[in-house]
Amino acid sequence: MTRNRDAILRLVGYALFCAAILVVPLFVDNGYLLNKFARYLVFGILSLALSLSWGYAGILNLGQAVGFGLGSYCMAMALKLRTIPIQTGAGGLPDFMVWNNVQALPWFWVPFHSYAFAIAAGMAVPAVVAFLIGWFVFPARVSGVYVAIITLAMLVVINLVIIDQQPYTGGFNGITDLTTLKLFGIEFDAYSDATYYLAAITLSLCLFLGLAFVNSKTGLILQAIRDDETRVWYFGYNVAAYQNFVFCLSAAIAGFAGMLYTLVMEFASPTFLAVPISLSIVIWCAVGGRASLVGAALGAIVVTGVQGSLSDTPAFLDTWMLIMGGLFIVIVLFLPNGLISLIDLALGKRRRGRAATAAASVVAIERSESSRRQSAAR
Amino acid sequence: MAGERILELQDIAVEFSGFKAVSGLNLGIDRGELRCLIGPNGAGKTTALDVICGKVKPSAGRITLKGQDVTRLPEYKLARRGVGRKFQVPSVFRQLSVRDNLEVAYCKHLGVFGNLLGFKRGAENDGLEKLAELVGLEEVLDQPAGYLSHGQTQWLEIALLLAQDSEVILLDEPTAGMTAQETMHTAKIFNALRGRHTLLVVEHDMAFVREISDVITVMHQGRVLAEGRAAEVQKDPAVREAYLGSGGIADA
Ligand SMILES: Nc1ncnc2c1ncn2[C@@H]1O[C@H](COP(=O)(O)OP(=O)(O)OP(=O)(O)O)[C@@H](O)[C@H]1O
Ligand SMILES: [Mg+2]
Repeated sequence: MTRNRDAILRLVGYALFCAAILVVPLFVDNGYLLNKFARYLVFGILSLALSLSWGYAGILNLGQAVGFGLGSYCMAMALKLRTIPIQTGAGGLPDFMVWNNVQALPWFWVPFHSYAFAIAAGMAVPAVVAFLIGWFVFPARVSGVYVAIITLAMLVVINLVIIDQQPYTGGFNGITDLTTLKLFGIEFDAYSDATYYLAAITLSLCLFLGLAFVNSKTGLILQAIRDDETRVWYFGYNVAAYQNFVFCLSAAIAGFAGMLYTLVMEFASPTFLAVPISLSIVIWCAVGGRASLVGAALGAIVVTGVQGSLSDTPAFLDTWMLIMGGLFIVIVLFLPNGLISLIDLALGKRRRGRAATAAASVVAIERSESSRRQSAAR
Repeated sequence: MAGERILELQDIAVEFSGFKAVSGLNLGIDRGELRCLIGPNGAGKTTALDVICGKVKPSAGRITLKGQDVTRLPEYKLARRGVGRKFQVPSVFRQLSVRDNLEVAYCKHLGVFGNLLGFKRGAENDGLEKLAELVGLEEVLDQPAGYLSHGQTQWLEIALLLAQDSEVILLDEPTAGMTAQETMHTAKIFNALRGRHTLLVVEHDMAFVREISDVITVMHQGRVLAEGRAAEVQKDPAVREAYLGSGGIADA
């Protein structure tokens, strides 16, 4: 019964959070602020995606920004191709291609004339890249810190390729001067309510669909894999397939977040899939609570929010990084399950749990003592 | 049914960087049998179970399960063919509730996509709750497994194997750390399982072994030293010799 009560409480909590982010535009009519908040929400989605793979399945993906960046580029390519001719250069070519002496639109740019294709690609490309990495990594039983290293290395490689292929990707500058997305008669201007709502609704959907996913049997098996990967193999599950699935799912969601990010920022840049942002995602997730979807999202919003206001305040101009680092250490040390565990604490759940563990370990110690004495007597 | 060989090990050898943990091991087990595997520390009992469940691969020899060669199969395929395993060090999913542990072990569908729609967890929930009752965990179904006592963790592992419902169940020291009373309850459960499952139990507690076993296999230095009923085995001079220094077999 407590199980049902917990589930209902959780649903209520998620609903409250979604309601809170959805009403923001009713109180804020400053486009600049809304744009900033939309950015935080996009980071929330990105952090939620990492929570699926790291928090629920134990796969620490330090290259989470790969999906984010690729999604962002997919959207930017589609918008670039629709930019009015003045910015698009001769013969419908994007301006940076003209500057780089590219004669014709490269084949992989062509399908991005279609929004439907671009949006599908924004999720499919990250998922396919993740699948290929996962296909090498998971069946080989690579896990833990090695996955982290490999994903980080992939991030660096893909980042270098994008910067290096300037004629096709815009190199260091990324893809800039984009038109605004118009879909179903709605114009998603970066500073509009529409874009904010798009981010807020996406985050809400991700939260509820994510909740359904982690409560499915597949979600349960992933959590079992997180706890004891080898044991799960002995029940007959193909652990590698489960790991790769959540790895791809997480990448696809990150890709969607990346597309939104292009709308919010009005450009795509190689910094979107660089090491700093990728590591930031891990910090957001850890601060908010990696084993909670809403916790991870909240972590991103709180950290980037505090970061934004600190770095905007002249008094903290030089010290905000230090303050953030200190906060991070305090939270990770004292709240290993993140800020979200404050709610559990408030509901008095953990304390009961602690007492039970303590009692259990006393019993276990006594037992192992006595069995050792027995075997010594043998 | 009776007398049908379900599991057969032929001339199995296992080496750990040159050290022969098991060599020339021959073992045959009939369907529905409850076989106990005993032997002094380091005899290779755990390694023998590891080979059967696919955790380590033998450097020589052949394993047949239900007449098919399974020597080279990975562990999850062996599990799918009906081999379940309890490890010497209790391994349960500590962050998951007892109920969820059982749910994971209840693995009728194994695919990622099939299980995506498995929201209606435990249409067989009843069955899982009965299992929890059988091993006395019904009160703690919703507690994380990490909070269980050592004895309860052992019970949970046994329940996991029952939920998995494997034909062949390998248990490594299932009563370690249990009180005498708990051990006897375990013996009762094992006796009830006899016939429905084939069990291979590694155990040091001779009282427990006498309680449950038909046939005992004694291992020593990586091979089978003796095989027979408890009384016969205990009289065997070679067995007594092997156990010298570890206090004798009677109460080993
Ligand atoms: N992974 C390994 N690497 C190297 N040596 C190993 C390994 N596993 C087991 N051994 C060695 O193989 C021998 C047999 O070990 P095994 O664990 O099978 O014994 P056991 O009969 O289960 O003993 P116990 O009663 O103590 O559990 C031991 O000498 C052990 O040290
Ligand atoms: Mg052993």
